[in-house]
Amino acid sequence: MANINWRTINIDALDPDSPANFDLSSLTPAVAPVSTADVQNNAQQIRQLLRGGDNEGALQGALENPPYGADDKGKEVHLAAVIEILQSIRQSDMSPILSRLYGAPGGTEALDVLMKYIYKGMAQASPSSDKRNITPQVTGFSQVHARGGGEGGGQAMSVLLSWHEKLVEIAGPGSIVRVMTDRRTV
Amino acid sequence: MSQSLRPYLQCVRSSLTAALSLSNFASQASERHNVPEIEAASSPEVILNPLTVSRNENERVYIEPSINSVRISINIKQADEIEHILVHKFTRFLTQRAESFYIMRRKPVKGYDISFLVTNFHTEEMLKHKLVDFIIQFMEEVDKEISEMKLFLNARARFVAESFLTPFD
Amino acid sequence: MVAPEVHHLFHHPIADHSFSADRQTLAVARENNVDLYAKSGSGFKLQDELTGHDKTVTGVDIAPRSGKIVTCSQDRNAYVWEPSPQGWKPTLVLLRINRAATCVRWAPSETKFAVGSGARLIPVCYFEEEDNWWVSKHIKKPIRSTVTCVAWHPNSVLLAAGSTDGHARVLSSFVKGVDERPEASAWGERLPFNTVCGEFLNNTAGWVHSVAFSPSGNALAFASHDSTLTVVYPGGPDQPPNAILSISTQVLPFMSIVWSNESEIIAAGYNCEAYRLQGSEQGWQLAGSLESKGRPGLTEQREESALNMFRQMDLKGKSGTDDTKLKTVHQNTINTIRSFQESGSDVTKISSTGVDGRVVIWSL
Repeated sequence: MANINWRTINIDALDPDSPANFDLSSLTPAVAPVSTADVQNNAQQIRQLLRGGDNEGALQGALENPPYGADDKGKEVHLAAVIEILQSIRQSDMSPILSRLYGAPGGTEALDVLMKYIYKGMAQASPSSDKRNITPQVTGFSQVHARGGGEGGGQAMSVLLSWHEKLVEIAGPGSIVRVMTDRRTV
Repeated sequence: MSQSLRPYLQCVRSSLTAALSLSNFASQASERHNVPEIEAASSPEVILNPLTVSRNENERVYIEPSINSVRISINIKQADEIEHILVHKFTRFLTQRAESFYIMRRKPVKGYDISFLVTNFHTEEMLKHKLVDFIIQFMEEVDKEISEMKLFLNARARFVAESFLTPFD
Repeated sequence: MVAPEVHHLFHHPIADHSFSADRQTLAVARENNVDLYAKSGSGFKLQDELTGHDKTVTGVDIAPRSGKIVTCSQDRNAYVWEPSPQGWKPTLVLLRINRAATCVRWAPSETKFAVGSGARLIPVCYFEEEDNWWVSKHIKKPIRSTVTCVAWHPNSVLLAAGSTDGHARVLSSFVKGVDERPEASAWGERLPFNTVCGEFLNNTAGWVHSVAFSPSGNALAFASHDSTLTVVYPGGPDQPPNAILSISTQVLPFMSIVWSNESEIIAAGYNCEAYRLQGSEQGWQLAGSLESKGRPGLTEQREESALNMFRQMDLKGKSGTDDTKLKTVHQNTINTIRSFQESGSDVTKISSTGVDGRVVIWSL
C-alpha cells in the first residue's frame, strides 16, 4: 500500500468537473472521420490534375475538403500533395490565383485552409532539432563550411514563405488568427 | 541566402501581430490568481494551436499563443561547434539579465535557443507593434553579433598563435 | 464625418466604462478602483473614486433610471453603489462564486443584474426586500468554461452569454416575484429559470468576446476570437434557427459589438478602430471603418518628416520615420463600446474605451 506516493497523484486530472478536463471535442462538432484510403484517392486525383497542367483546379480541389477527420498518416499524405501543388505554381501566378480563390464562394474558408497547410508545412520540415551533432571535432576545420542551412529543405521553406506573404496580403491577419483558434487541425 | 530573410521576417511579423491579441484573464483553476495561461497550462480551451515559422531546418520561430500570454521561442542559426558555443554563451548572458528585458524567459523552451514570454500586462504597457519590432530586430541582430564574435575570435586566435610561435621561427 | 471626441483620461487600461443616463457622469474602471468623472466644459474632470475592491475591476454598469452603479472584480465580489449625501455607499452582493467575475450588466428593468464569472456560472442577482440585500441565483448548466460577456434581451428575462468554450448561449433568467411573465418571442415561450433557449457555435470555435441582442431582440450577434462575427436569427421555440450567418473578417478579432439599428452592427477590437457591418437575414458584410483616413493630424506629420528624421537620428540613433504613434485614434486595443446617444431606435453616437486609457465618442 505504501508503494503509491499519494502526493504525486494529479487530482485535477481525475476530477471530472475540473477546468483541466475540458472536452476539446466539444469545440469541433462537425468533424467526420475520414479513412486514409479516401485521402489517398483524393491525393491521386489532385496529382492527376496537377500533371494535366491545371494548377488552379488542383489547388482548389485540395483545399475544398481538408481531411480533418483522418489520422496522422492520412493528413501527411494530403499535406505532401498540397506542398507539391504549391511548389509547382510559379511566383507570378500566385497572386492572381489567390485573388480568384478569394472571390469564389467559400473563398475565405479555402484561404484559411491554405494558411493552415503553410504553417503545417513549415512545422514539418524540422524533425529532431535537439539532437545537434556535437562531434569532438577540431574547431579549425569547421570554418570551411559556409553558413548556410540545408539547401533542399530551404527551397520548400522559401516557397512557403512567399506564399505566406501573398496570402496575408489578400486574407489579412484574420486568417492567421483563425489558424490559431480553429481546433480542426490539418 | 539573405533573399529569403525578408519574407521570413515578414512572416514572423504577421504571425506575431496576430498572436499578440491578448486580454486580461483571471485563472479558472485558482481563485484570485492571474497567471500566464501558456505557462500554467491548466485548461486546454484557453490555449491555441502553436505556429512554426521556419526558414530552414536550423532557423525557426515557434509561437505558442493563449488567451493572455504568448511564448515565442527562437532557434538561432549555428553552423558549427564554435557558433554553438558562442550562441550558448550569448544566450546565457541575456537570460541571466532577463528581468531588464521584461519579456524574456529565463529558460528557453526545450529544443530552442531562447524564449520570450509576452503577457497581456506587457501589451497593456507597451505598444504591440513595437514589441514585434523588437523581436524582429533581435532576430536580425543576433545573427550579426554571432558572426562578428566569430570573426573576432578567429582574429584573436590567429594573433595569439602568431605571437606565441614567433620565437620558435 | 464629424470628428470624434477624444478624452485621454490616464495611462492605464480601462476595463469597462459606463455613462449615466444624462451623459454627465462617466464611470471608468481603473485597476482596483472605479473613477467617476463629471463633464465640465468639453472635457471630463475626476469627481469621485469608488474604492473597495482588492483586485482588478472588470465590470462597471450604471443603471439609467435609478442611478445605481454595480461593479465587479477579479476578487470574486460585486458591489452595488448608491448615491447618498455622504458620497457613494457600497453594498456587497452575495455572488457565491469562487472565481473571478468578468463582466456585469443591469437588466433593462433594473431589478436584476447578471455577472459573468470564471467559476463557469452566471449569478443573476436581485434585491431581496425582507433581508435587505442582493441575493443571487446561479445559472450553471451547460456552461463549461469562463463566461466572458453577458447581454440582456429587452424583455429582461432572456440573457445571452458568451464564454471561452466557444459557445454563445441564450438562457432564461426568469425570477419568480421579481419578473413578470414575458410575452412569447422567437426564443421561447415557457421559460423557467436556467432554460437554454439556444446554444450557438460557429465552425472555427473561438472564444466569444462579446454578445448583443438586436434592438428588437429578434436576432443575436456574437464576436469571437477567430476574427468572425456571427449573427443568429431564431426560427421559433424548439425550431432550428432561420439563419446563422458567420462573417470571417480579415482584421484582428473584435472585443466588443453594439447594434446601431436592426441591420447594422458596430464592432471594435484589437485593430484599435471601430468597424461597421451591415446586413440582414440574407447575409452580412463588413462595410468599412468608422474612422476617416484623412485626418488633419496625419498631413502635418508628413510635412516635417525631414526635420523629424534628423531629429530621430540625433536623439535615438534611428534613421527611420517615427512610427510609435498608430494612425488610429485609439493607440491600443479597444475593449468596450457602448451606445452613447439614440434617436428613436437607432444609435447615433457610440462611446469606446480601450487599453490606452482614452474615452472616444464617435458619431455614426
